[in-house]
Amino acid sequence: MTRIEALKWIADIFEEPADRITPDTPRSDIQAWDSLGVLTLMADFDQTFGIILSDEEIQCMKGVNDILEILRTNGKLSE
Amino acid sequence: MAITKTKAPEIRGIVSSVPPRRVDNLTEKTAFDAQEVEKVVRLAGVKTRHVADESICSTDLCIAASRRLMNSIGWTPDSVDALIFVTQTPDYFLPSSCCIAHRALDLRDSCAAFDVGLGCSGYPYGLWLAGSILQNPGIRRVLLLHGETPTRFSDPSDRTVALLFGDAGSATAIESIEVPHNREWTFCMQTDGTGFRDLIIEGGGFRERVPKDQRKHFVSMKGPNIFNFTLKRVPTLIEDAMSASGLSKEQIDYFIFHQSNQFIMRHLAKKTGLPEEKIPLVISEFGSAGGPSVPLTITQGGLSRPKDRPLQLLLLGYGVGLSWGSALVHLGSEAVLDHVILDGPDHQPRETERAELSSRILKNESRPNKHSKV
Repeated sequence: MTRIEALKWIADIFEEPADRITPDTPRSDIQAWDSLGVLTLMADFDQTFGIILSDEEIQCMKGVNDILEILRTNGKLSE
Repeated sequence: MAITKTKAPEIRGIVSSVPPRRVDNLTEKTAFDAQEVEKVVRLAGVKTRHVADESICSTDLCIAASRRLMNSIGWTPDSVDALIFVTQTPDYFLPSSCCIAHRALDLRDSCAAFDVGLGCSGYPYGLWLAGSILQNPGIRRVLLLHGETPTRFSDPSDRTVALLFGDAGSATAIESIEVPHNREWTFCMQTDGTGFRDLIIEGGGFRERVPKDQRKHFVSMKGPNIFNFTLKRVPTLIEDAMSASGLSKEQIDYFIFHQSNQFIMRHLAKKTGLPEEKIPLVISEFGSAGGPSVPLTITQGGLSRPKDRPLQLLLLGYGVGLSWGSALVHLGSEAVLDHVILDGPDHQPRETERAELSSRILKNESRPNKHSKV
């Protein structure tokens, strides 16, 4: 998945327009990224990529860049 | 992982029970705005739930269920050899809740009785214990009670739990089969204590008897950690149960999930490739009632029951502990399934039921099985 595709994937999860999501977007700027949004994100990680996040990864996600970093670490992001 | 098999006993009946007060999440006044409530309802799937008032404990729910069950299947109090009470919401720290139920049901002195302090995994564990106890030729009838009142330990201002929980009890009658047979029950049990803080009530126990922070008397749930745990553990649990039993998923009539959250259950169904029609859901009507949600789903999940063969059920409990387990059991076509809504001011069965039970106790009579199908 390219970075642009990944950003679109994240925007879809949180039901945001694609142009509002950039690598620098913090969690606080995404309204749907609340406690329920975290569950949706986790389910999509699992369903789309087969990635089950660790408790530490879940707690440390503060923005879009952290999501991209998890994809990168798991070899799912092509630069 | 502890994998065990027992020679199968027979489930004579299961009765679930709920308190009379039914709360509609969309119309009940809460600490949250309407949009928030709608979102939680849509995702978690809890539209209504039954909520216990301060006078209703797990014992009340389970005693009412037991009375209905014993009446229906004709078990007299002096015929029960063992009573297992599974709960994390006891009336008291001591004595055990089983003793309260023992007195209320007029069971005899020679009846063994004990509590099990497990939550979401409690029903598979309870059946495992019952099945194991029944291997002993001196024990013929076991009454398994499982009840929880999680709404009574939920902070009404905590969105992660306030709209999610409902209260429920259950009674299951299990009896050894005296004719020779080759049927087995299969159990898989696991524990991961490293997650003990993920779902916890910190205050009130002996680690912190009187906490300064009163919120510690409420449950604290790390939702993402619990979801993470279910994603990792439940699919493997199902595979392990299939492998241990030698059965295929197609041979299982229903997969009865602990009703934790509709979103999570649907995701698990998709992940494990199970057809949704084999996963009954009752969370919409009853909320998440902890471990008793498993027997509640059996009685209220609209199970289709053929008359010529027993149902094969894979029962799945997972959560607080962290503790998880499965029980692969059969449910005969004659087994009674019923449901009680507490209605009396003292949370007892209706007078007619009580009179009938007393009369049969005096006469030491049994009543033929009732075929009550959901």
